Amino acid sequence: MTLDYAIFLISAAVAVFGATMMIMQRNPVASVLYLILSLVAQAVVYVQLGALFLGAILIVVYAGAILVLFLFVIMLLNLRSNPELSASLPPLGWFTKVAVPVLMVVELYFVVDRVIWPPVPTGIVGKNPDFGSVETVATMMFTDYMYPLQLTGVLLLVAVVGAVVIARRESAEPRKTTASPDNRNEQPIDTVAG
Amino acid sequence: MEFQLPDFDLRVMMPEIFLFLWALVVITFDLSTKRRSGAAVAYLAMFGLVITGILLAVAGTGAGFGAMFFNDAASIFFKVIFLGAAFMAIGSSFGLLRQKIQHHRGEFFGLILLSTVGMMFLASSNELLSLYIGLELTTIPLFVCAAFFKDNRLSVEAGIKYLIIGAFSSALLLYGLSLLYGLSGTTDLLQMRINIATTHLNFREIGMLPMISVIMLVAGLGFKLALPPFHQWAPDVYEGSPTPIAAFLSVGSKAAGLIAFAKIMINGLQVFYDQVMAPSDWGILVAVIASAAMIWGNVAAIRQANIKRMLAYSSIAQAGYIMIGMVALNELGMAAVSFYMFTYLFANMGAFAVVAIFEDTTGSTQISSYNGLAKTSPFHAASMSVFLLSLAGIPPLAGFFAKYYVFASAIKMAGAADDKSWLYWLVGVGLLTSVFALYYYANIIKTMYFTTDESPYRLSVASPGSAMVLIGLIGVLLFGLYPTPILEFAAGIPEALGVVVP
Amino acid sequence: MVPIHAYLMLAMILFGIGAFGVLVSRNVIVMFMSVELMLNAANLVLIAFSRALGVVDGHVFVFLVLAVAAAEAAVGLAMIITIYRNRETINIDRYNLLKW
Repeated sequence: MTLDYAIFLISAAVAVFGATMMIMQRNPVASVLYLILSLVAQAVVYVQLGALFLGAILIVVYAGAILVLFLFVIMLLNLRSNPELSASLPPLGWFTKVAVPVLMVVELYFVVDRVIWPPVPTGIVGKNPDFGSVETVATMMFTDYMYPLQLTGVLLLVAVVGAVVIARRESAEPRKTTASPDNRNEQPIDTVAG
Repeated sequence: MEFQLPDFDLRVMMPEIFLFLWALVVITFDLSTKRRSGAAVAYLAMFGLVITGILLAVAGTGAGFGAMFFNDAASIFFKVIFLGAAFMAIGSSFGLLRQKIQHHRGEFFGLILLSTVGMMFLASSNELLSLYIGLELTTIPLFVCAAFFKDNRLSVEAGIKYLIIGAFSSALLLYGLSLLYGLSGTTDLLQMRINIATTHLNFREIGMLPMISVIMLVAGLGFKLALPPFHQWAPDVYEGSPTPIAAFLSVGSKAAGLIAFAKIMINGLQVFYDQVMAPSDWGILVAVIASAAMIWGNVAAIRQANIKRMLAYSSIAQAGYIMIGMVALNELGMAAVSFYMFTYLFANMGAFAVVAIFEDTTGSTQISSYNGLAKTSPFHAASMSVFLLSLAGIPPLAGFFAKYYVFASAIKMAGAADDKSWLYWLVGVGLLTSVFALYYYANIIKTMYFTTDESPYRLSVASPGSAMVLIGLIGVLLFGLYPTPILEFAAGIPEALGVVVP
Repeated sequence: MVPIHAYLMLAMILFGIGAFGVLVSRNVIVMFMSVELMLNAANLVLIAFSRALGVVDGHVFVFLVLAVAAAEAAVGLAMIITIYRNRETINIDRYNLLKW
């Protein structure tokens, strides 16, 4: 076993472990932390595949910013671990429940069985030492892929507008105290704001 | 290092750029009037859509940005559908402005416009990445719009259900796209077709992987189109969200899913259809899904008491009929699908416009409340009947010709190729389920007309919503009696999508 | 030399865990994080193929997908806050006014 293989196996095991623990947790804070663990392990795999820039981005932006936003929301809502929230079969249709995991297994089998892929030159130094560097990715992004990049800009604007609209509590709205459980069910369906 | 942008032509992209800027104008206008803009902001948004339509007519066809943005007959046709759907959705929102939407009016209409921008970009994208981002740009504003009544528990619940299903489906889609990228070595759909057809990798060697990718793509897009078994979200979301948004979801969002499906499956993957997938190609997969949609949608619609849920199941069934034309995959098929979508725009948006007016006046969406409506509001009852009969496919309304062309394309294809005889079965299922459909559509007409009671409600004829009903009525009758111009335009669509007749 | 299907398998396992998480979790926030995990699995596929093909198109794809995921997360978390205000719970089974 080469060093490359060892690194891959260890980080893959950590990534899978983190992902599994994430969905098993009752406490949402622990879930987020396990997801961060999984992402850090995935970043190692990214770097091994020569995606240096994206590996850094995954840790800094994804684990560092987006998941902290998740943590922030969990703290804001003051969610604690709750036995009610342990995993169960969901309110989706039976087909989706069964089909997706089965599909995954089938897929796994066929890919392992049939695909003959060329081995990937792993490690940071491949044929092209610039592969995956900030410069090459950025050049590609700001020339050939300028159009999707601009579209993403529009998308982020939409997300900002949408998040503000949804999360904002209107000042005119009568401030609800933490509603007692008994009157929660009797709110009229079409409460008029204001 | 030298930087060189691909050739770009902003003139071709003018309608999209204008509509994006106009959405910002709409939002800013509402802010600058200290949120007292009232109905003016809705008129402003509708005005912008009209201007965009005019710009679309003058922008012409051609490449906008390298091969990534391309305006052809197919994208222009679908862009007209998106603009029409947004126009009629905004037109039937005036009743909401009176009470339900007191805050963020500008954002409500701005987000509808931004979603339309996303659909328009999607219809022109010839590349996986921009296709994916266009699809996200289409759905993310609609998550927000579905949950727009923040104090209404149904609306927020609809929003969160739509959000989770939408995010889940786009993750499935992205996984399919990423496998596709690996298999073909390119993100450009036209290049993909060439790469797959020639040498890039030997596809017979890699067995099931393309099929897995296709299944993922069908699942991801099936959620967007609300095709079984990925349809459970549709009735819930339609019931909970504001009625104009439900209408926009059922027409605009469905048309966007349809064009994305056509682009990936036909433009990019038709080679799979011919060679690799031949024993079990996506045609049969989609055909099974389509017949499930027709059967389940029509059967489940019968027992609905809520008219929005009923229209949701009906739209699931309609998606099934549309997919018949898609799997026929000959020069008639895509044209028939486009024409179907065009007539569906008028019939469904019109029906939802009536539902919206009724809901604004009475606060009810139960079918039983429509009892005796014909006596007090003859215009609305008559229009609703016309829309429902068009959806059922009764001549001489537009919906009849749409169904006729879809079935005709499938029969032609079944006759042309020996291994396509299963298309006869598909058409058979379509015809049979149309009878079920007629039953529940007629049930509503019966409730409105054949009763001795008089409805306690009177719907106002002089309102913007009724104008939308009138537009729908004109569309359904006009294109039923004189469908030639639309059909002639739609005839160019299969070629634009690169349908190769085997 | 790690063969490419090792990376694809890892991606598939992560994707499967993510899909499973969306389907079985009752906690909306965990469902949402599972979707993020699915997106990341797709990203891993893109990066692995990018390496195999020797082009960085896939990297640009991944970068923009991360931006899309951020946008989705922003809207999703805002909506979770709103529904929590409405219902005082993040249990998806309790969001049952509309039947699934």
